[in-house]
Amino acid sequence: MHKRIACVLLSLALAMSVVGCVPFSACGKREATYFDVFDTTAQITAYGVSAAEFSRGEQRLHALLQEYHRLYDIYHAYEGVANLYTVNAAAGTPVAVDDKILDLLEYGLAMEKRTAGRVNIVFGAVLALWHDCRAAALENPDAASLPDPAALTAAAAHTDPAALVIDRQAGTVCLTDPDARLDVGAIAKGYVTERAAAFVAQELGWSHVLLNIGGNVRAVGAKPGDAPFTIGIQNPDTDSAVAYLLTVGVADKAVVTSGDYERYYTVAGQRYAHIIDVDTLYPAAHLRAVSVICADSGLADALSTALFTLPVEQGLQLLAAFPDAAAVFLLPDGSRQYSPGFANYVLSET
Amino acid sequence: MPHQQSDTRWRPADAVLAAGVIVAALAIWACLLWLPGRGAAVRVTVDGTVVATLPLNRDATLTIPGTDGENTLVIAGGAAQITAADCPDHICVRHRAVSRPGQSIICLPHRVVVTVVSNAADVDGEV
Repeated sequence: MHKRIACVLLSLALAMSVVGCVPFSACGKREATYFDVFDTTAQITAYGVSAAEFSRGEQRLHALLQEYHRLYDIYHAYEGVANLYTVNAAAGTPVAVDDKILDLLEYGLAMEKRTAGRVNIVFGAVLALWHDCRAAALENPDAASLPDPAALTAAAAHTDPAALVIDRQAGTVCLTDPDARLDVGAIAKGYVTERAAAFVAQELGWSHVLLNIGGNVRAVGAKPGDAPFTIGIQNPDTDSAVAYLLTVGVADKAVVTSGDYERYYTVAGQRYAHIIDVDTLYPAAHLRAVSVICADSGLADALSTALFTLPVEQGLQLLAAFPDAAAVFLLPDGSRQYSPGFANYVLSET
Repeated sequence: MPHQQSDTRWRPADAVLAAGVIVAALAIWACLLWLPGRGAAVRVTVDGTVVATLPLNRDATLTIPGTDGENTLVIAGGAAQITAADCPDHICVRHRAVSRPGQSIICLPHRVVVTVVSNAADVDGEV
């Protein structure tokens, strides 16, 4: 009798622990994080590769990211490297640059046309004024100020994309307007993330990878067993205990958010975000955030910036020209709107 | 024919089997403890930018590069605490360990905020 009871209890103990056991998807997950590129954190997560293979591959990836970081940096010069800082400093004269720079700039000019000018990599003269005020405010919050309106208008006269001349034959790029400046912030991280994804898939041959470069997420393949990667869309209310307003499942897709809740500064109690409307010359305020899902990370980055500077109705019209892309808009009143097709990605909503 | 009773007294082999089942159950339970669960996590921001989101059910130590200095965050036993910092006042170090959604530890001089968030532990990434 005691033995029967013991049998039942033991079976129960074993059954309870086994029933709770899910496939060991966490096992074999390898991660590396970098803090030295693009002024943000960059992370790679890979499944199905050995520790030694992961270590070799992520070191090569890190080196690639560092190279792009140096080439696309508009704030620093690097010994022996002609980068975007060099191009800006030499405005008015052609500069010989690496093909990677020519590729990025051509991509930027193409995005300017496809977003009807909402994303403009020759907007640096205006963006620099906002960047300087924001940097000064972070140093000394009590003295925070807005750029001089006259200075903004004057700078806006030097933002014509036609001033950027790319000569593939000579391998040079030239800002023909000496007062024009390049700022690739709207597209660079997404573009690099796409190059990183291509490296991981083609050079390393890995097929279960999640990249996250400063908020530019790119799933290369799916998780082992074909489960999509689960990506949380952050709550713009960063004080809230609710971290994500919704989660989406993606495989072989990029997810990018543009929002007003990370890089901003405050003047007289009012927040000024970092994404500037090309028409008003002031931070766009139609949305708290917009997240875009599509196959190419560079396109996702450009679209999220463009959509952030548009009212939802116009944003939906712009999106219609990109059938592969879907978006969720988070509005200032707390409501949210999905573009057609976005609901297919949604796993859960809060 | 008389009905044959099976001998149901405990034998050494029974004890070995029982012990094996208990060990197996404990081993599986221990393994489950180490898998990311649906519990809470901490989100670490520096100057408003999220630098890390870590589940509370996995012990970890993180050195947070704050503005003008560093804070050491330790996650142990399902709670997070700042155990060391080179800020002048050490208010963050004196703060009790946090484990419930909404609780936070702040280091003002370094602009570091550690907040417990409720549904963050079951995603692979965030944007």
